Amino acid sequence: MPTFTEVAKATKKKREIKLVGVDMYIITEKGTPKFDDIGAFKCEFISNRGTKVWPGFVSPDLLQVNWYRCRFMATKEVQDAEVNAFLDALTKGGWWWSAAQKLWTYDGEPGFSKAY
Amino acid sequence: MGTQHVVTMLPGEGTGPEICEAVRLVIDASGVNIKWEYEDIGLDCLEKYGTLLPDKTIQNIAKNKVALKGPTTTPIGTGHKSANVTLRKVFDLYANVRPAKLIPVLKRPWDKIDILNFRENTEDCYAAIEHMVSDEVAQCLKVITWPGSYRIADFAFKWAKANGRKKIYCVHKANIMKMTDGLFLDAFREVAKQHPDIESGDIIVDNCCMQLVRNPAQFDCLVLPNLYGDILTDLCAGLVGGLGFAPGANVGDGCAIFEAVHGSAPKYAGMKKVNPSAVLVSGIMMLRWLKEEAAAARIEKAMFAVLDERKHVTYDVGGTAKTDEYAQAIVDKMHAKA
Repeated sequence: MPTFTEVAKATKKKREIKLVGVDMYIITEKGTPKFDDIGAFKCEFISNRGTKVWPGFVSPDLLQVNWYRCRFMATKEVQDAEVNAFLDALTKGGWWWSAAQKLWTYDGEPGFSKAY
Repeated sequence: MGTQHVVTMLPGEGTGPEICEAVRLVIDASGVNIKWEYEDIGLDCLEKYGTLLPDKTIQNIAKNKVALKGPTTTPIGTGHKSANVTLRKVFDLYANVRPAKLIPVLKRPWDKIDILNFRENTEDCYAAIEHMVSDEVAQCLKVITWPGSYRIADFAFKWAKANGRKKIYCVHKANIMKMTDGLFLDAFREVAKQHPDIESGDIIVDNCCMQLVRNPAQFDCLVLPNLYGDILTDLCAGLVGGLGFAPGANVGDGCAIFEAVHGSAPKYAGMKKVNPSAVLVSGIMMLRWLKEEAAAARIEKAMFAVLDERKHVTYDVGGTAKTDEYAQAIVDKMHAKA
């Protein structure tokens, strides 16, 4: 007799998972960070309190805190080794980061939200 | 005619355009001098611009710094970002001011409700930070910041004081979410110290919901984080007559957008059937924001009179009048009083 958990899990279709990027949460007092490409990753946008602050229009009145979400997308096929090298390079570059969240697609659909 | 104000008009979609035309008819007849600049927003923009909120609209609002917005619909579960949330984010409209006041002619079970809600409008679970962290687990970050919490509390106390209010309560769940809601509550208490002339306190959100439906008259002003504010402001609107009469203002330091909080009712589009009162009372809020108190009071008085007579009211309040007939009746009433 399967457990309830097993029954519930069986209803969820298994999907193909692919690593496509990393959200980095960076703490800095120096304003919106600027990044060159780092290894296999390119910065796509930066948000602060959920609002996109790079690239594009930013209200001059926008309240910003010292914590930025920086979305880095892979420019080629990547595995965990590339992520590890990326994190190492970011740390050696002097960036203080609070967390990293890998970005995956599930059957090609993004498993991550866009910024406003 | 007095000072000319330039206002961005965002008719939205569905019934939005016919509602906004009715509201414009009333506001223009009130004696206020407004130049309206129309811009697109909402689902109808998708085909034309590929977005719910075109850059041209953003630029126009940035120029005029004040807008009146009709209803829009956000597609559920698709990748399109909400036009409403985008507006709040882009212009940092951090204070959602939602009054809930009994309209005399609408029969409700209570004698008095006059609650002023201040919902933080940019943070919390609305920071758009969501991830599928495994194929079985979705995660949404609840982002509460000290400056963001301090700012909405400061805004609320100052607005309350300017409008003669006496008591502000902070709504939270800091007994469980000790860091996020705890930070929000700490910031509120810090601001409250600077306003000893206003009574302040706090209440846990679930208790607040129960108290609101049992004895809403006990509340004066509430300050809420975004998610609780989203829910409780609709609850308060339901207490006083529903979303059809609920005004809303989204205010930042450099811009203010006034809007109804109901949906766009696309099934009634073009039928001139729906009640435009929510956008109209939002327009009255806008006139007060523009320091046009006389025009605001004139419209409010005429609207209450038309509702009281019940001859030219829309179907939702027991009448048969079309949207524009109701608006014209308010205009006629204003002119009759003049």
